[in-house]
Formats: sequence, structure tokens, C-alpha cells
Amino acid sequence: MTIRNTLQDHGQRYRPRMACLKKSEKVLLEMQDPKTGLKSQPQRLVITTIPHAITGEDIIAWLADRLQVDTQEARSFGSMLVALGYIYPLQDHKRLVIKPDASLYRFQTPYFWPTQQWPVEDTDYAIYLAKRNIRKKGILEMHEQEHYNRLHKWMNHKWDFIVMQAKEQYRAAKERKKPDRVVFDCQERAYWVVHRPPPGTVSAMDYGLDRQIDPNSDEAVTPDFYERIMIFTQQSIMRPRVKSSVSIGALVKYCATYNNHDPFLSNCLPSNPWITDDVTFWTLNMPCVEIPTKMRVERWTFSFAELLSDTRGRDDFRLFLKKEFSGENLAFWEACEDLKWGKAASIKEKAEHIYKTFLARGAPRWINIDGKTMEVTVKGLKHPHRYVLDPAQTHIYMLMKKDSYGRYQKSPVFKDTVKKAICPDEHRFSGAQLEQNSKKRRPSLSPIILRQMEQEQRAKMAANIDITQLCRFTTPVPHLAVYSGFTDYSHCHRLTLPHLPGPHPGLSVPHQRGPGQHLGV
Amino acid sequence: MTSRWRRSVGELALRGRQRGECERAQEALGRVTSCFQQLAVSLGSSADGSFLRDEMDETRHLAQRICRGLSRRLLRLLSDCGPAPSIVEDKQVSDCGPAPSGVEDRQVSERLWVLFLSALEHFLSDLRKAYNLIGRFPLTQRNDRRSLVNTGCMDGVVAVAARVASVQAPWLTMEEEQSPDLTNHIAELEAMLSEMQLRVPVAFWSVEATQLAGAECGGLEGLEEGEDSLEELMEGEGGSRRPACCCLTCV
Repeated sequence: MTIRNTLQDHGQRYRPRMACLKKSEKVLLEMQDPKTGLKSQPQRLVITTIPHAITGEDIIAWLADRLQVDTQEARSFGSMLVALGYIYPLQDHKRLVIKPDASLYRFQTPYFWPTQQWPVEDTDYAIYLAKRNIRKKGILEMHEQEHYNRLHKWMNHKWDFIVMQAKEQYRAAKERKKPDRVVFDCQERAYWVVHRPPPGTVSAMDYGLDRQIDPNSDEAVTPDFYERIMIFTQQSIMRPRVKSSVSIGALVKYCATYNNHDPFLSNCLPSNPWITDDVTFWTLNMPCVEIPTKMRVERWTFSFAELLSDTRGRDDFRLFLKKEFSGENLAFWEACEDLKWGKAASIKEKAEHIYKTFLARGAPRWINIDGKTMEVTVKGLKHPHRYVLDPAQTHIYMLMKKDSYGRYQKSPVFKDTVKKAICPDEHRFSGAQLEQNSKKRRPSLSPIILRQMEQEQRAKMAANIDITQLCRFTTPVPHLAVYSGFTDYSHCHRLTLPHLPGPHPGLSVPHQRGPGQHLGV
Repeated sequence: MTSRWRRSVGELALRGRQRGECERAQEALGRVTSCFQQLAVSLGSSADGSFLRDEMDETRHLAQRICRGLSRRLLRLLSDCGPAPSIVEDKQVSDCGPAPSGVEDRQVSERLWVLFLSALEHFLSDLRKAYNLIGRFPLTQRNDRRSLVNTGCMDGVVAVAARVASVQAPWLTMEEEQSPDLTNHIAELEAMLSEMQLRVPVAFWSVEATQLAGAECGGLEGLEEGEDSLEELMEGEGGSRRPACCCLTCV
């Protein structure tokens, strides 16, 4: 009666292996062993006494002793057991941690243990909430009330069943003796705190996406299975190797450089959105923001790849190159990326466009690559494929990295950006504000809108290209000032120079004069 | 096939009786399954024992008898009614006829259908869990009792068992069939579920709840003994009275 698989899951519907569950169960069974396990004490309540309560400090001491670890580790392990739902606290039941004092805990009954095979059903949750409602009106908390309303809407067809079952379960539970009833209520409540946690808390049962293969099923041992193992092992042997000192050194260097920039390892300013639910950090670091943050600008100095991969950094670099009149390199590199990652149907068209714009004799944005690479590339372009421009692209990339990148970092453009970069103040939220924030969470812009914005940007940029360099068939005069302006050539005279094979159709060659004469537009 | 354009008074009365029978059986099923859950909660805990397991077997046999009977009757009820009038074209002959009582009749039957299938699914998941737990905590040897978890429950399931025994299903006395063991029971119910879903096309999302959200609040049930909330009950010695709060604000 439940509509299963409502999403396009591409066959992903199996909950992943949760090895921690089986291991925790083993430890737990040892823990409650009457001879070698924990000593329990009775919990005294107003109306009755309930046995089998254990103290937090006892748990930690037992774990430290049994697993041969220090107290801190035992404490985190104990907290994990509580977070998974194997032990539940009797006081302060919403906080799933082990407190190293005399606060009481109890073992959860195996019926309420977390399972890997079966997800926790919403039907059960609806019945539980209805039971709470029956018991006392207005007792549901805000998030529970929200869940209740949502379930009433989406499980409306089952609702009669849910209410009926809730009433029956309530009556059945009342048949038990009072202490047992209290225990059962505690157990059930603890179960739902684990599996339907209140907002702002992290659930230990989060496991990411569902998997394609059922981890509980055995893989059939066929010749194919062994063949795959053989191929995998052969490839592992053939893999090129690097000395571990080298690779570890690289890792250490990476960690040292990026440690302060990681929002989870160190404080990010103004505040980490995952923790405080305030999205200023993300809005300040959007791809097309006007003024970047100081940390972001610092990252651009780490490596050229870092600069190029950040959209804002690339924009800044483009601005610098425009002032230096060597924007064609970056434009060529971007065009090559577009070719590599674009649709297969558009490859031919894009390759032609790139050739006309960047590589051909007399091209308006001609790039300076060495003769051999040019030969190889032009030959390859006869039958273009995705990676045909790779040698040229690499050459231009290294050129930019070795030459322009260094100058960029010393340039006034970059220095200006650094000066203008902002360093936001750290947020200090009070508890009430944090709750407010968590209620105000909204989904971000839809990816469709983002893609449209990206395309508009790209179209705008394409309309604004500046053609800034000479054709290679003129006399090489590097100090000659060159044109910069728009692609509208109506101002320029059309001139066919005698030694040129003739301009390409649709392109006009900029007006050329002899050396030593400056041309302004 | 006799034409059913004109329904005799007797026929309608019969259907009404059948529906009433199904409704009572549904309530009985609800009672039995909730008792089963109460028993299953004690599996693997210190309250577990052969008495508990025997009671569980009894309970599920009873549930099985009710399920079998109910499924047969509901299948009969809904296939007699024929396809839903809303789906059928005007040209086709609908057994229910275009009369408003036929549509209502159909709706009530569909509601019962959805109720039963939901109950069946719910019971099936409980059975699977119970099967898993019984497999994990077998009580065949003496020192198996050492591995039972001390949950604070002492046995109190006698009253629950008595509640199960008091359940009356309309056809209990008529049919005596053999009771399967747990694996077969699960398989049988799964087969029943899929068979029912295949035999009769019921758009279960078209069934609407008769109760509004929160209608069950503060009914007679909760007010019977002046029930305290769990928070109040748990206020023992040394337990500080904290207001319900979110984790982030607590220190």
C-alpha cells in the first residue's frame, strides 16, 4: 500500500552495509552479560522502581577496560552506542551522549535496535505520534507536529488504519504492569529520538545515498567474477608508482597549505553554514560575486590551477590579460575546455570556429605556439575529435602559468583586488538565534536557474571579445601598440595585403601600417 | 451471468452484513496485531522465555486465521462489485450500476480493502522483525539466557495474552486449518498481499481519511486514569525537571 520507488533512483534502492551495527551489537551483548558485564542498579521513580539502570561513568570505565583504550576514546565510543540507539539515557533523553557521571542509562530492547535491512517506516512513526496525541493533547513538539501534519497529508489513505492501530496499541500497552509500561514508553521514545531526530541535530543513522547492489545478497561466483578479480590485480601491478616519501610529502604540503581554508578543519568566516544554518558564507563566495573574500584571493596565489578553476579568479585574470593585450591565450584555453567537455555533435563546429579564430593564418586572435605543435594541431583538425587540441592547450597553459601568472600576481589589477577583498566578521549566534536560523532554512537556487545564468554570462562575454593582436604575417614589431576594441570592423578599412593568401570569408584583417607608427582607435 | 442491474433488497442487505463482518474482523485483527507487537518488543530481552514465544505463536495463528478469512471475503466483496464506476466507460456494463448507492458501496468496500492491506503490510513487517530476533536469540540452550539483554522489563505479558484470547472473529468457529511455522507464515502473507493487489485494481490513493488530523487527541482513552506524560512519570530522585528543549541550547 506504500508507493515505493517514487524517485528516479537508477536502481539505487539498497541500504548500504553498516558494519558498525554488527560490531556494536557484539560489544553490547558483552556489556550486559550478568557475569562479565556492567553492574546495574535500580532506578527509583515516584511510582515504582525499575531495575537494570546503569551509570554513565560505569559504562565508560567498562569500555576503557574491555577495549583497552583511554577514557576519552571510551567516552566517544559510548556516545556512539547511544547515538545509534543501543543504549538510551533516562534523564535528558534528547541528548544522545554519554555523560561521565552518575546519570543513568538503560539497554534498548532488541526489537528497537537499528537494522540495516529495513528502513524505519513512516507508518510506524505516524502510529507513534497518534498514540502520543491520544495520551495527552498538545504534547507533540514543533517538529513532531510538522511531521504529523505532513504524514496526515501524504498517508491520508492509510490514516484510518493508523488511528485504529494507535488506539489498539495504546490499549494493549495498558494491559501491562505499570513499571513495564514505563519502560516500554521510554524505549519507544528513545527509538524515535534516534530515528526521527529533532532539527539541528545530527543523526547517527545518516548514510548518504542508497546503493545499487544489495549488500546482503551473496555474489554469484562465476568465471566472470574471477575474471574481474584478475583484471583488477593486473591493473594494480601495472600502475606507475611513486616513492612514498614523495607522495606523502605532497600530501603534507597540501594539508599545510589548505588547512586554514577548509571550513571544517578551521573556523570559516563569517560562520560555517552547516553548523549555524546561516548562508552568508556561501553568498559571499558565489562564483560571480563582485568583491571576493580575502581567503579566496589568498587561494589564487597557491597555484595557477587554483586561480583558473575559481570563476572569480579567472575573471580577474582575464581582466589583467586584457590590459596586457594577451587575452587570446585564456580565450583559447577556455575554448579548448569547451570543446573537450561539450557535446559530441558540436565538436566539428567548435573545432572549426577555434581554428578560424585562433590558429589560422590571419586569425583575429592568433595564439603564439611553436611550429611543431601548430603542425600537429592543424593536421589533427582535419579529423577533429575531443582531444585534438590537447597539445596546443597544454602549451598555452604552461605559457600562461610560467609567464602571465607571475606577472599577474605583481600587477596593479591583482593588488587592487587584494586591497578590496573583504574579511567578514565572525558571527556570534545565541542559542535562540540558532534555532531561528534552523527554521529559516530554504533550498538554494534551482540548478536550472543557475545554468541559465551561466549561459547568459557566457553569451555576454562572447559579445564582448576584444581582438588585440596582429596577424603573424606582418613584420614582427612587438612594441607596436595594437588595436583593442570590439569586433565591429566597419571603422577599419578593408585591405588585402599582397603577400597574404586573402582574408577568410567573414573576417576582416585589421588595418596594418608599417613599423614605427602608432595607431589609435 | 445474471444481470445485476436491479439489486434486490435482500442482496443489498447481504452485502451490508458482509461489510459489517469485515469491519469487525478488521478491529479484531488490529487488536491481535498490536498485542503481537507488545509481545515482540520483549523478544531478546530479559523478559524473553518459552512462555512468551508460545504466546507469540498463538497470537499469530489467530491473526493468520483472521487474515485468511478477511482476504477471502474482501476479494469476494470487491470482485462482485466489479470495476469502479469512475474508470468504466458509459458504454460498458458495470455490475454496480450507475446508482449512487453502488458508488458509495464501492467506496466503503475500497476503504475496507485499503485498511486491510495496510494492516497486512504492518503485520508482515512485525513478523519479519520477530523472525530476525528469534533467529538471533535462540533459547535452545541454557546459557543462551546469558545473552538476553537486561532492559528493565520483567514479564508482564500475561495480561496481554489474555487480551489476545478475548478476541472474537466472526468465522473463528467455522474454519479449522493448520497453523504454519514462522517462515511459512511470512511467505503465505506475502503471497496473499501480492495476490490481492494483482486480482483487484484498487486505486488506494483515492481513499480519503474519515478523520481530521488530531481528531484522536484527548479522546476518552487518555483521560481515563488522568494519565501523566512520560516526562512527569520519569521525574524520579535526582532527575532534574528540564523543559523540552532542542539539543543546541542545552549545554
